[in-house]
Amino acid sequence: MKPVPDLPVTLRVGGRLSDITRQPLPPYAPEATAFLAALSKQLLALPEARQFPDIAAFAYWCRPASLARLQREFGAAHARLGRGLALHIAPANVPVNFAFSFAFGVLAGNANIVRIPDAGHPQVDVICDRIAALFDDPAHRRIAAMNRLIRYPRSDSITATLSQLCQARLIWGGDETVSRLRALPVHPRCVDIAFADRYSFCVLDSQAVLGASDTVLAALVKGFYDDVFLLDQNACSSPHLVLWHGTGQAEAAQGRFWSAMTDYLEKNYDLAPVHAVDKFVHLCATAIALPQARATRRHDNFVYRVRLDSLPADIERHRGRNGFFYEHAVDDLSCLGEIVEERYQTLTTFGIDRATLVQSIIAQGLSGIDRVVPVGKALDIGVIWDGYDLIGELSRIVHTA
Amino acid sequence: MSNRDTYNTAFTETFMIETKDLPGLKYQDISAWDSVGHMALMAALEEAFGIEMDIDDIIEFSGYEAGQAILTKYNIAIEPAV
Repeated sequence: MKPVPDLPVTLRVGGRLSDITRQPLPPYAPEATAFLAALSKQLLALPEARQFPDIAAFAYWCRPASLARLQREFGAAHARLGRGLALHIAPANVPVNFAFSFAFGVLAGNANIVRIPDAGHPQVDVICDRIAALFDDPAHRRIAAMNRLIRYPRSDSITATLSQLCQARLIWGGDETVSRLRALPVHPRCVDIAFADRYSFCVLDSQAVLGASDTVLAALVKGFYDDVFLLDQNACSSPHLVLWHGTGQAEAAQGRFWSAMTDYLEKNYDLAPVHAVDKFVHLCATAIALPQARATRRHDNFVYRVRLDSLPADIERHRGRNGFFYEHAVDDLSCLGEIVEERYQTLTTFGIDRATLVQSIIAQGLSGIDRVVPVGKALDIGVIWDGYDLIGELSRIVHTA
Repeated sequence: MSNRDTYNTAFTETFMIETKDLPGLKYQDISAWDSVGHMALMAALEEAFGIEMDIDDIIEFSGYEAGQAILTKYNIAIEPAV
């Protein structure tokens, strides 16, 4: 095996690159689950977990009971081993995704080199400090030997060197990063898991919103807030378009939903002035660029809604941020076939039967929509993501006839 | 350790409170039992009793007494307080 050279990178967690142990483990090896369970416990006990709900969510995801469930669901149909060395180019838009990416690589049984985002998100250093502390514990010696978290400025030459050594790459960061890194020569057995730019939307059933109890409506509003405002629509799984199912009652349902949403935002959301201005500018741009835009409603400076009288095929090009939504009402969800293309990732729903919807996606042979989840779960990343079974993709089958 | 001791310890260690504060304690009564504290408590209980709780039970776990009723679903009987 070609050695890993010591490259000009900042070693944030772990020893020298040249010392990395690349011998893989089977998926869900006891060393891996024990390490992540310990990380979960440490992070949940930190005061910072209160300040950063995304750290708490990651820690909760990798608690022992959750890992045990994932392991069971993964099954044992084949004997498997990690592929070897995995290179992770983590995204900068979602602070804790580097930790999920790292955890997926660890669970699959790989050695991992994770390029973490630059400073700017305090969450990254909080998690890195805990990983580093656990690496110093002899109980986690094997995982420590197999993993490095590093920083380097965007450099194709460093990425190129690592790409020729690894058996898997997880490329976050969208189309531009994906196509740039795809152009680099890679190890012949290397598997790329590429996270391209995606578009996500939401379907709310008008009648269900009108019929919801105050408690259910409050939970819907909180869920929608978590999906959209925690990351200001910067995550590709945050919705940008709200489809109302049921035209007759759509206006009444919209009134109920958005007024509750605005009340919630007033209490919980710290609106940056620049975001209010950005939304107005985006509204002006939309008015010029989108002939389908029929009307607009503003709820204070928190929410801008643009009503579309039909759905443009390139709606994903017009996405807004920080509380800017397109809305359209339909009676028949089979219209999804007309707009959904491969860019569509997550569909969040309320009052819609998701199993039927998934059946309809399959029956229509749609090229997009990888996830259909309840409102509130848009950002819940897991081992099945973006249409990939990540632990399956990151491990190889040792087959016997 | 009795199940009650195990149950109490999950609360006292997660929230840094004393056993005498537990009766009647409800979600969000104290600042430590917020949504993040709830996750930590659920993780602590799952670990202490070696169980995996269903999401519905995690949501309905609204207080010290309500939690005891939920744990009976997992065949964990909390002995009466002495």
